[in-house]
Amino acid sequence: MNAITNAGQTAIVEELAEVIVANKAWLSEIDGKIGDGDHGINMAKGFGRTAERIHGKDMTLDAAMLVLSDVLMSEIGGSMGPLYGLMFEDMAGALKGHNQLDAETFSAMLNAGLAGVQGVGNAQVGDKTLIDTLVPAVTAFDAAKAQGFAPALAAMITAAEQGRDSTIDLVAKIGRASRLGERSRGVLDAGATSCCMILTTLGHSVLRRLA
Amino acid sequence: MAPRAISKAGDGDTVFAMPLRYGDDALLWAAWLYYEEGLTQSDIAEKMGLSRPSVNAYLADARTRGIVNIEIDPDKFRTLSIAQALRDHFGLQDCLVIPTDGGDRPLIARLGAAGAQALTRFVKSGDTLAVTWGRTVLALAEALDHPGLQDVRVIQATGGTTAKIPWTPEACAARMAEALNARSIPISAPAIVSSAVMRSMLMQEPVLAEQLAILAEADRIVMGISSLRPESTIHTSGFLEGGVQHAHYQDAVGSIVGRFIDARGEPVIGPMHERTIGIDLAALRRIPQRIAVAGGVDKVAAILAALRGGHANVLVTDAVTGRGILTAEGYKDAPRRAVPSQAPLPARNHVKKLINAPKDAVDEALKGALLAHERLIMALPDTPRAIVAKDGPRAGKVGIVIGGGAGHEPSFWGYVGRGLADAAAVGNLFASPPPGPILAATQFADRGAGVLYIYGNFSGDVMNFDMAAELAAEEQIAVRSIITTDDIASSPVESRAARRGVAGNVFIFKIAGAAADRMMPLDTCESVVRRANARTYTMGLALEPGSPPETRRPSFDLGPDEIEIGVGVHGELGVVRQKLISADESADLLLDRILAEMHPSEGDQVAVLVNSLGSTPAMELYIILRRVRQRLKARGIGVHSCLVGPYYTSLDMAGVSLSLLHLDPELAALLEAPCRSAALTLP
Repeated sequence: MNAITNAGQTAIVEELAEVIVANKAWLSEIDGKIGDGDHGINMAKGFGRTAERIHGKDMTLDAAMLVLSDVLMSEIGGSMGPLYGLMFEDMAGALKGHNQLDAETFSAMLNAGLAGVQGVGNAQVGDKTLIDTLVPAVTAFDAAKAQGFAPALAAMITAAEQGRDSTIDLVAKIGRASRLGERSRGVLDAGATSCCMILTTLGHSVLRRLA
Repeated sequence: MAPRAISKAGDGDTVFAMPLRYGDDALLWAAWLYYEEGLTQSDIAEKMGLSRPSVNAYLADARTRGIVNIEIDPDKFRTLSIAQALRDHFGLQDCLVIPTDGGDRPLIARLGAAGAQALTRFVKSGDTLAVTWGRTVLALAEALDHPGLQDVRVIQATGGTTAKIPWTPEACAARMAEALNARSIPISAPAIVSSAVMRSMLMQEPVLAEQLAILAEADRIVMGISSLRPESTIHTSGFLEGGVQHAHYQDAVGSIVGRFIDARGEPVIGPMHERTIGIDLAALRRIPQRIAVAGGVDKVAAILAALRGGHANVLVTDAVTGRGILTAEGYKDAPRRAVPSQAPLPARNHVKKLINAPKDAVDEALKGALLAHERLIMALPDTPRAIVAKDGPRAGKVGIVIGGGAGHEPSFWGYVGRGLADAAAVGNLFASPPPGPILAATQFADRGAGVLYIYGNFSGDVMNFDMAAELAAEEQIAVRSIITTDDIASSPVESRAARRGVAGNVFIFKIAGAAADRMMPLDTCESVVRRANARTYTMGLALEPGSPPETRRPSFDLGPDEIEIGVGVHGELGVVRQKLISADESADLLLDRILAEMHPSEGDQVAVLVNSLGSTPAMELYIILRRVRQRLKARGIGVHSCLVGPYYTSLDMAGVSLSLLHLDPELAALLEAPCRSAALTLP
């Protein structure tokens, strides 16, 4: 198979929420090293509440993503609220009206999400933010999509993990950690880590449905 | 086991006093003789009754154990047993004991060097340092070189003496002031005048009265202790003329600050008493730190008297003298007290908290605050995270909207009320509120004159307040945003705009609330608040991390003896981590950084906020405030008002932040304008 249906995909967002909630403590721990230690708490709150709201409902992927976006935007706040809120809103916008999700649609979704994040934040690759995960993941997906949906997803997952790990050696240039200068080097960025979780979980969820 | 040092009792004048205890003593002494006195290893071997290879091994050991470090760590000399015994027995703040013998320099020069080393560690910026006179004091002044301090004053402890001696009070004070880069203040009168009548007349002279008033403010005094032998300082300075005078002082065993004491340290009042201009013994006792530098067997009785009377609380002396004092006092070598081995405290997995479900903590605390202050604030219906003032908002007044994450209580709801903010949007723990409550707060605060947003510079707050401002603009509400940047630790001065907004917000909220309350238009409010932000400086330090209710674990690690300088209000790491220091050193560290940026002129006015980051108690905050006031006074900066307490916290973090608002007349007037809120009320 090289496509999945858009309808009946509530579970994909529930799976996302499950991973974020399960990693709440770890994300906060990473954040605590150079940030304020609340990343996991806030992410888990937003994704967890979304899961409660969509559970048992039959929704398209974009509709479920919109619920997630609303919760993040209106109830979570912080910087992750707007950043992920707009990312999922724009991803949902790109999927809207599609019955089938293939490599092209998925690529459009990823690029819309990236544009959404870049519209509200102004981080560049190398600034030690979630952009360091998102940009290479989107690029890798696009570069591999000619080989098929599944290989492109696999490439995206690998690139997201590499992107996340690249933040270890970076010095933060934006956000709270930027005030630490050189002291921010040597640890993962919490946003890059949660973004990697989102992309790899999404990738594996789709891969399982393609198989 | 260290071999015993052997006293060479039969050696005539070269009396080598053994340390009372061994341990590291022999090793330290060998190091001193070698590195400080320049003795050869054979000389040391002979003096200490050791073999030359032992001396060599000692010196090597001293190096490898970090005792010798180009200079000998003065802390190590405090651990010498004589010093420890003197300190314990007389309840001294500190005691330094150097070897009596060794090297070419006379004892007085070496005591001076040791005294200078001690003083260097004590003296702080902003100090007023009183100085007596004499050979040892001058030797100390000449050995001193410590120019890096600010606003230090050196003042003579007495009037002047005969110029026949080189170690006059003027010479000692002037030399010491030079070495400390300090201002030297004389006592413009003779130490001894011809009559009591003359003294009372002089004391009424304004110049002298002013100088004596400064003397009364001394934080420390450096003093010699004089014996009463004919060649002693007190004699050569002309204090005791002829045998008739002496008859009045037959009970006296020594002299300090030009006053006489008996063997118990009690004052001996004679005819000179009413003719002496300078500090007396009662005033001396009011000086917090009284450093006596004195040595020599002839001085044992005088030093002992000074210690018994409590006139000195820091002593710098030599081993023979120290041992003599202890012997005269009947001190016996007690068996060394066993130091109880300290078992490390078991590591705790969770910090205890008074919470219900962690996820409800923010909302439940907010509900409690609303009930506690129900006459002042309420939540907007349907928007529980938008807190508004019951009194204050009115037609034509600029609306002030503040906000940020929870965890900083009493911020932000504590600053909502008349004369302060009209509304606050409260987020989740340490996370900016989303645009929804900010917009609701904006709609409430808008009474036709526009709305001013004031919030700390964090990327989440900027995103969410900006989104709310866009939504408000669609509703034709004029919104201006002031992003506060008072935390000087968070970014260098050249990138001020990148700094965080922290406890200094309290001042900025107050200025904004007062400006709006005076019905100033939006443009004026905005510019005055921008000026307040530009003139507010904050720096903090953490002693212990805070712990969020969700994790109940410290949000960062800090070693048992470490502090984090420049820590953020969310537990973000600061600029540097260092060893725990005293309250005064902490206050100095924060204040020095602030003053270096503020560049205040003498006579300028500031407002001071000493803020608890959560669990640091009021007692410690007041200790800090006291030091800050001392320093500001020394700098000639006026203090308009002080706030001391938990005004802008970071959960249960232990630590303090210091904020200064550099006032101008308009800001001062706005700062003292009436206001009424949960956390700040001015009549």
